[in-house]
Amino acid sequence: MKKTSLVHLKPNCRGRISEIAGGVLLQNRLMSMGLYIGREVIKLSYIGLRGPVVIKAGRSVLALGHGMAAKIIIETE
Amino acid sequence: MIKKIYLIGNPNVGKSVVFSRLTGVHVISSNYPGTTIEFVKGYLGLGGKRIEVVDLPGAYSLEPSSGAEEVAVSLLKEYPKGEIAVINIIDSTNLERNLLLTLQLIEEGFPVIACLNMCDDAVHRGVHIDARKLEEILCVPVIPTCAVTGAGIKSLIERIKDIAPVRKTELSHEERWKEIGRIIEQVQRLEHRHHRLREVLEDASVRPLTGFIMAAGIIYLSFKIVRFVGEFIINKITDPIFYGTIQPLLEKMTLHWQEKSFLFHLLIGDLVNGKIDFKQSLGVLTTAPYIEFGMVLPYVISFYFVLSLLEDIGYLPRLAILLDNLLHRLGLHGYAIIPVLLGFGCNVPGILSTRVLESKRERFIAATIISIGVPCVPLQAMIVGLLGAFGGFYAGGVYLTLFFVVMVLGWILNKLLPGYSPEFLLEIPPYRFPPLAILGRKLYFRIKGFLFEAVPIVLAGVLFINILLYFRLFDIVTGIFSPVIHGLFGLPKEAIVALAIGFLRKDVAVGMLAPLGLSAKQLFIATTLLAMSFPCIATFIVLWKELGVKDLIKSALIMVTISIIVGSALNFVILR
Repeated sequence: MKKTSLVHLKPNCRGRISEIAGGVLLQNRLMSMGLYIGREVIKLSYIGLRGPVVIKAGRSVLALGHGMAAKIIIETE
Repeated sequence: MIKKIYLIGNPNVGKSVVFSRLTGVHVISSNYPGTTIEFVKGYLGLGGKRIEVVDLPGAYSLEPSSGAEEVAVSLLKEYPKGEIAVINIIDSTNLERNLLLTLQLIEEGFPVIACLNMCDDAVHRGVHIDARKLEEILCVPVIPTCAVTGAGIKSLIERIKDIAPVRKTELSHEERWKEIGRIIEQVQRLEHRHHRLREVLEDASVRPLTGFIMAAGIIYLSFKIVRFVGEFIINKITDPIFYGTIQPLLEKMTLHWQEKSFLFHLLIGDLVNGKIDFKQSLGVLTTAPYIEFGMVLPYVISFYFVLSLLEDIGYLPRLAILLDNLLHRLGLHGYAIIPVLLGFGCNVPGILSTRVLESKRERFIAATIISIGVPCVPLQAMIVGLLGAFGGFYAGGVYLTLFFVVMVLGWILNKLLPGYSPEFLLEIPPYRFPPLAILGRKLYFRIKGFLFEAVPIVLAGVLFINILLYFRLFDIVTGIFSPVIHGLFGLPKEAIVALAIGFLRKDVAVGMLAPLGLSAKQLFIATTLLAMSFPCIATFIVLWKELGVKDLIKSALIMVTISIIVGSALNFVILR
């Protein structure tokens, strides 16, 4: 088990969300879009230079700002 | 007794298309989240009664986290639950995420009917949903539909009367997602499909290297198509009509009129070398229709054709990802590219759609930037039409100047305004290829909207200007502003009339510059000023509505300051 933030996860790798290091508001917002603790996600890409991270969760493709992605901690095998 | 029907669902599931099908009212729909920012009303005949149908902005859950979601949730709670019916539109290709809202609606005791929309696309992507099973589990009617083609809409209407609230215990978010997992296991079957071209392109457009290459290609191609289609319409259709049919007709009609008479001045304007010149005569029957139909309309058609295509395919959110970085420097995030692109068509819908941005600060920056640095199609068509005659360098120079101003202004605003720019969180829709009929309808409504708004103002505006010119009422104003106009910007003092008319409509304003015989440099400065200074009155009213008086004044002061600085800089330094 290795823990890393969504920003540092390598593209095309999958992992489970183990922690959302943000306030209740952010947690609720992510939760309503299908990102919750235990959810498996695949990182599709990262637009460099503090740009957004694109992930796939279930059948949704989501783009998250750099700051938000840094708050999402992923657990990989 | 049902008094109202609400359409609710996640963003970008096709609520507006279902709404159009139910009510016959046309609303603009696109393939990106947040097209509907305000609710829209229409009527549906049901059992001999007319029932109001409300299309709500998209919401992911009943706990709102954006302005549009708040609108949706507060409207939903306006009426007692016994008097409403809620149609929950679900994107079948993404049932899992959509079910969160469905469960919340059912738990809260709303009378719900679930509409599994985009069924055809789901089957295409290998997603099979057992609607009957889902109905059993949820205890509410579930109807598969494909709103784009109209399939299933009839059975949806028939079953509205079966709606009844089901009481269920309220769950926490975690429990709800677990429940959804269980439901999905029972009703959804995924067929394994190999990656197809569409999926390969979807992936490639969000990866850094391939994404930027694709973006460059798409933007270049868009420009080319807009120009090609616009020029084609002008050269093959509108110009032959104006010069071949209307000009001889007008000349015959006015053969015996006195050239200096009041009526001649109003309707035909001034003759150039004894002939009507559509670009310079400035009459209600000559220049006014030529500006709108011969110069602007062809580009309105070609611009909205390309924009609608990009919107419906679903490319714009991908562009937003790629530009997020750049826009962060301006205090915005990537999604601000959508209001900006809409602003290139007309500033009014552009500024209205700044509502997709979360904070007041962002909306202020975006609205100000759009008013200053984003010229609308009518203005662009006129700039290209007039300034283009001096060579592409000048027309391109105006865009370059505006781009530079936007970058610097955005950077300064971001440094000066208190607060920070929020993070970007956006769902990226799959590529979709809507039927051409849908695209055509959208184009038709946009062009109709343009004609209804623009033509009366242009005709009345030119008439009004001609009356003022005939009685020489502008002379007082030109006298007062002559030091600024001539001294700072190097323009003849008559140009103030055109700049003032810019408040009415930008295309007419540029049209008024034509008879002044300006040099390329003067025309360059004048058109740049027209783009940056006060927006037209329609935009002004929307700015007032969206920003409030205080911020409107702030924004207007910025516009005036920037115009004076850039205008004089162009005159004294850059174009010396």
